[in-house]
Amino acid sequence: MAWYHEVASSLGAVFRRRSQDRDLQEEVQFHLEMEAKRRVDSGMTPTQARATARRDFGGVERHKDDTRDERGAGGFFDAWSDVRFAVRSLAHRPGLTLAATLTLALGIGATSTVFSVVKHVLLTPLPYDRPEGVVAVWSAWKGFDRTWLSYDEWEGWKARVAAFSDIALYTDGAATIDGDSPQRVAAANVQANLFSVLGVRAERGRTFTPDEDRPGGPTVALLSHELWERRFGSDPAVIGQKIQVSGNSTLIVGVLPADFKLPIDYSSGRRTDLYAPMQLDATRAGAVPGPAFPRGGASHGFYSVARLAPGATAATANAQLRTLVAELEKFGYMANRSFHAFTIPIEEQITGPVRPVLLIVFGAVVLVLLIACANVAGLLLVRGEARRRELAVRVALGAGSTRLARLLITESGVLATLGAAAGVVFATVTVRLLRSHAPPGLPRVAETSIDWTVLAFALITAVLTALLTGILPLVHAEALAPSRELREGGRGSTSGRARLQWRQALVAVEIALAVVLVAGSGLMIRTVRNLLSIDPGFNADGVLTMSVSTPSNWYPDSIRVVAFWNDLQQRAAAIPGVKRVAAVRLLPLATEMGDWGLTVEGYTPPPNQGTPGDWQVVTPGYFETMGVNVRKGRPFSAGDDMSGPLAMIVNRAFVQEYLSGREPIGVRVRIGARDTTKKYTIVGVAEDVHHNSLTGSVKPMFYATLAQFAAAPGSTRRTMSLVVKTDGDPNALIGPVRAAVRSADSRLAVSEVKSMREIVDGAIGGQRFAMQTLSIFGLVALLLSAIGIFGIVSQVVASRFHEFGIRAALGATPRDLLAIGLQSGLRQAATGLAIGIVAALALTRALHSLVHGVSTTDPLTFVAVVSVTGVVAVLASLLPAARAARIDPNTALRVD
Amino acid sequence: MPSHSRLGPRAEVLRGTLEMLALKLLNEEPAHGWGLSLRLREISRDVFDVNQGSLYPALQAMLRRGWIRAEWRASENNRRARYYSVTAEGQKQLDAEIAEWNRASAAVNRVLRHAYLGA
Repeated sequence: MAWYHEVASSLGAVFRRRSQDRDLQEEVQFHLEMEAKRRVDSGMTPTQARATARRDFGGVERHKDDTRDERGAGGFFDAWSDVRFAVRSLAHRPGLTLAATLTLALGIGATSTVFSVVKHVLLTPLPYDRPEGVVAVWSAWKGFDRTWLSYDEWEGWKARVAAFSDIALYTDGAATIDGDSPQRVAAANVQANLFSVLGVRAERGRTFTPDEDRPGGPTVALLSHELWERRFGSDPAVIGQKIQVSGNSTLIVGVLPADFKLPIDYSSGRRTDLYAPMQLDATRAGAVPGPAFPRGGASHGFYSVARLAPGATAATANAQLRTLVAELEKFGYMANRSFHAFTIPIEEQITGPVRPVLLIVFGAVVLVLLIACANVAGLLLVRGEARRRELAVRVALGAGSTRLARLLITESGVLATLGAAAGVVFATVTVRLLRSHAPPGLPRVAETSIDWTVLAFALITAVLTALLTGILPLVHAEALAPSRELREGGRGSTSGRARLQWRQALVAVEIALAVVLVAGSGLMIRTVRNLLSIDPGFNADGVLTMSVSTPSNWYPDSIRVVAFWNDLQQRAAAIPGVKRVAAVRLLPLATEMGDWGLTVEGYTPPPNQGTPGDWQVVTPGYFETMGVNVRKGRPFSAGDDMSGPLAMIVNRAFVQEYLSGREPIGVRVRIGARDTTKKYTIVGVAEDVHHNSLTGSVKPMFYATLAQFAAAPGSTRRTMSLVVKTDGDPNALIGPVRAAVRSADSRLAVSEVKSMREIVDGAIGGQRFAMQTLSIFGLVALLLSAIGIFGIVSQVVASRFHEFGIRAALGATPRDLLAIGLQSGLRQAATGLAIGIVAALALTRALHSLVHGVSTTDPLTFVAVVSVTGVVAVLASLLPAARAARIDPNTALRVD
Repeated sequence: MPSHSRLGPRAEVLRGTLEMLALKLLNEEPAHGWGLSLRLREISRDVFDVNQGSLYPALQAMLRRGWIRAEWRASENNRRARYYSVTAEGQKQLDAEIAEWNRASAAVNRVLRHAYLGA
C-alpha cells in the first residue's frame, strides 16, 4: 500500500468533499434504482420493490458515512467538528467569550510586543559580517572608564597586537548637505579599512580605496541608504556625481546597505548618514611616528573597532593589550594615570546596556501572561460549573473521556486563537507606538517590527495558553460521574466546592504575581524619582536647544563666527516669550566631554600627572539661560569678547581639586602647556554641572567664551548648540527659533532640535523605560487580579445565597453578611500577598543593576505594595459582597 | 478508524473477504457497484446478500489504497454509472491475497481432516 495514495485520498477528502459527496449520492441512488427495477421485473409492485431494495441495502446514511470515513482525513473532520462545536458553544456565552478573549489578547499582545523588542535588540545579528569577530577597542585611565584612542595607540595596537587581524579608527561629527533646503546630517570620518573590519560592502558603488584615505586625497563620500532614499530619491545616478557638502564639492562613491550603522550610532541613538575618509596625516596625528609611543601621553579622540584574527577572542586580545600596556608604563607612557586598554565584543557593547532592562521587562510580561491565563482558567472553571449537566449528558450518551477532553481543549484552543489574533493586532499597534516613542538611550528599540518570528511566537504562546487555561477544567471534567451529576440538583455538591478551591488558588496565584510586578514597578518609580531629584546643576525647564554649524567656507574666521552668533542670539531674543538666549559647545547629558591639559598658576600636579579640565565653550548669558548658579565672582558678560581680558569661569570640582584653600578669583590659568598661549584669569566659580552622566562624579571643568577661546588657545568652535529659555512650553518656540536661524543665514541647517527636558529624560532612558513598562504591567496585573477577586466573591455569594438568606432570617445584620462576603475575597488576597511578598523579595534582585538610591528590598516600597494590593482586593470584594448584605430572606429562601 | 470499531470482529473478517472477492470479480471485468453486488450475490448464491450497502465503504477503502480506480461511464442501459477496475497494485494485492487464502484454507482443511480422522 503506497503512502501517496493515502495522502491523495485524504487531500481529496478535504478539498473535494462536495463533489465526492455528490458522486456518492448518485452512486447509491443508481444502486437503489437498479435494484428496485430488477425487483419490479421479477414481479413486485414498484412501491414494494423500492422498499425492499432500500431494506436490503441497509442504512443508507450509515453506509454513506462509513464510505466517507474510508476516504481518510477522518481526524481532520473530527477536529473540525470539535472546533465548530466550540465556536457554537462560545457564541452562546458572548460575555464570557469576550472577557476571556480580551484578557488573552492583552496577555498575548503584550508578550508578543516585548518579544518583538527582545528579538530585534538581542537576537537579531548586527549588520556586520560575523559580528562575533568584531570588538570595540577602548582606552581608559583615571577618571575615564572608557574613552577614545590616540593615534599612537592605534599604530601600536595595529603593529603589535597579534589577536587583531586589523584595526580601524573613526570619529563622529556632522555635515551639511547644501542646496535650496540645506540639511544637517550626522557624519563620520572613517579609515578606509573600517568597512573591511566590519565586513560591510557598499550596496551600490564602492567603499573607500586606501588612496582616497591619504592626506590631501580627493573629497569623496559614502551615503547611508536612508539619506540616499530621502534626499536623493534612490537615484542611482547620484553615485559618481558631485554634490556640495558643507561647502565642498564632494564625489559620491557609493551607498551603504540599508541596515548598516556605525557601532557608536547604537548608543548615541543617531544614524550616521554621510561617511568621509579620515585622510589622517601620520606625521601630524601621532605624537611620534610609527608604532612607538611618546612619553607622557597624547591627545585621545578616535573611536576604534578591530577584527579578531582567526582563533583569537576578546580575552586573548585583552591579555596581549595588558602585556603591551605594562611595557608602556615602564617606558613612561601616560604614567601614573592607571592607563589601560581593552576590547569589548561589539555585540556586548551595543546590547549590553539594554539587555538587563529588556530581560526584566520580558520577565514581567510573562508574569502578566500567566495572570491572564489564570484569569481565563478561572472563567472557564465557572463556566464548567454551569455546564456540568450538559457534559454529564454527553458522557451518558457515550462521549468517551478523550472525546470530552478534546472538546474542552478545543474550546480553550479556540479562545487562545481568538486571543492571539486580537493580541497580534494589539502588538502591531503597540510596536508602532514603540517605534515612534522609542525611549532614547535604548539602542535598536526603534528598529522593532512585527515579523513572522513574532507571529510564530504569538502562535506558540497561544498553544501554551490553550493548554494552561484548558487543563484545570479538564481535570474536573475527567472526574465527572454522570449518574451523580444528573441526579443532583447541582447545588452545593462536593465537587463544586473543590472547584471553588481551585479558583481561590488561582486568584491567590494571580495576586502573588501581581505583587511581584507592583513591587518591581514601585522600586523603579523610586529609582526614577531619585534620579530626577539629583540636582544636575542646571535647570532644564523651559529650555529649547538646537545645533547650528558655521562652516569655514562661509565663515572663514572667528570674527564672522562670533558675529553670526551675536546676530542669531539677538534675533532669537526678540521672539515673544523668550527670556534668555545663549550658545554652548556641548549640552550637558547629551554629548560626552573630554578634557584639555591646563597650567594653573600656583598648582603643581603630582609627578607625571597633568592638570586636565573638561572644556566648555559658551556665549555670555549661558549661565543665566541654563540656570547654572555662579556661586562666586561673576558670570560672563558682553565685555568678555575678543578685545576684553581673557576671563575664565571654573566649576566647584575645579576649585576643590586644584585651588583648595585658595581664593579662586584672580588665579591665572593657561589652556595647554605651551608658554606661548595667553593666560586666562578666573572671574567666577560655577555650580558643578553633571555633564557626562547624572550619577557619575563631576570632574574639574572650565568655561571660556566663544570669542575668547578663538583667541586662546585659538580654536574656533564651528558647531554650537543654541539654548533658548522661556517660561512656557519650549516646544512652542521651535518654529519661531528655526525662522530666526533662517533669517540670520538661510544657508545653515538646524539639527538635533530638542528640549533640555528630553535630553535629561534620555539620560535615564533605561530606567524610565523599565519604570513605565513595569508600571503598566503592574496596573494590568492589579486589574486582572481585581477581576479575579470580584469573580470569586460573586461566586461565593451566589453559591451561598440560600445560607445568607437563612442567616438574614435568623437576625444577621447586613453588616455581618457584608463581612462574610468580604472575608471570602480577602482570604485569597492575604494568601496571595504573603506568597507574592516572598517571591518579590527574591525576584526584585534582578533589578539590582537598574535601581538607584533604593535597595531592592526597600521596606517602604514593600509596605506601599501591600497597601495598594490590599486596597484593590477590598474594593474588588466590596461590590459583590454588598449583594450579600442586601439579601432579602424572603426571596433567598423562596428559591427552588 | 471509527468505522472499524463499529464493526464486530466477525464482520471485520467478513469484510476482508468481501474486499478480496470484490477485487477478484473486478479483475475479471470492471463493473459498477450495483453490478458487482449483483454478481457477488449470484455467484455466492446470496451468502453475501447481508447488506448491499457495506460494499461501498469496502470499495472506498480499496480506492484509498490505490488497488482499484473509479470512473464514470455509460451503463448497459445508458445511464451514468461509476465503474471500478483493478489497478496493477490491486492485481498484486489480489495475487497475494489468493495465495494467502489458499495457504490458510489448505491449513484449515488439513486440521479439519486430521480432527475428523482422529476422532
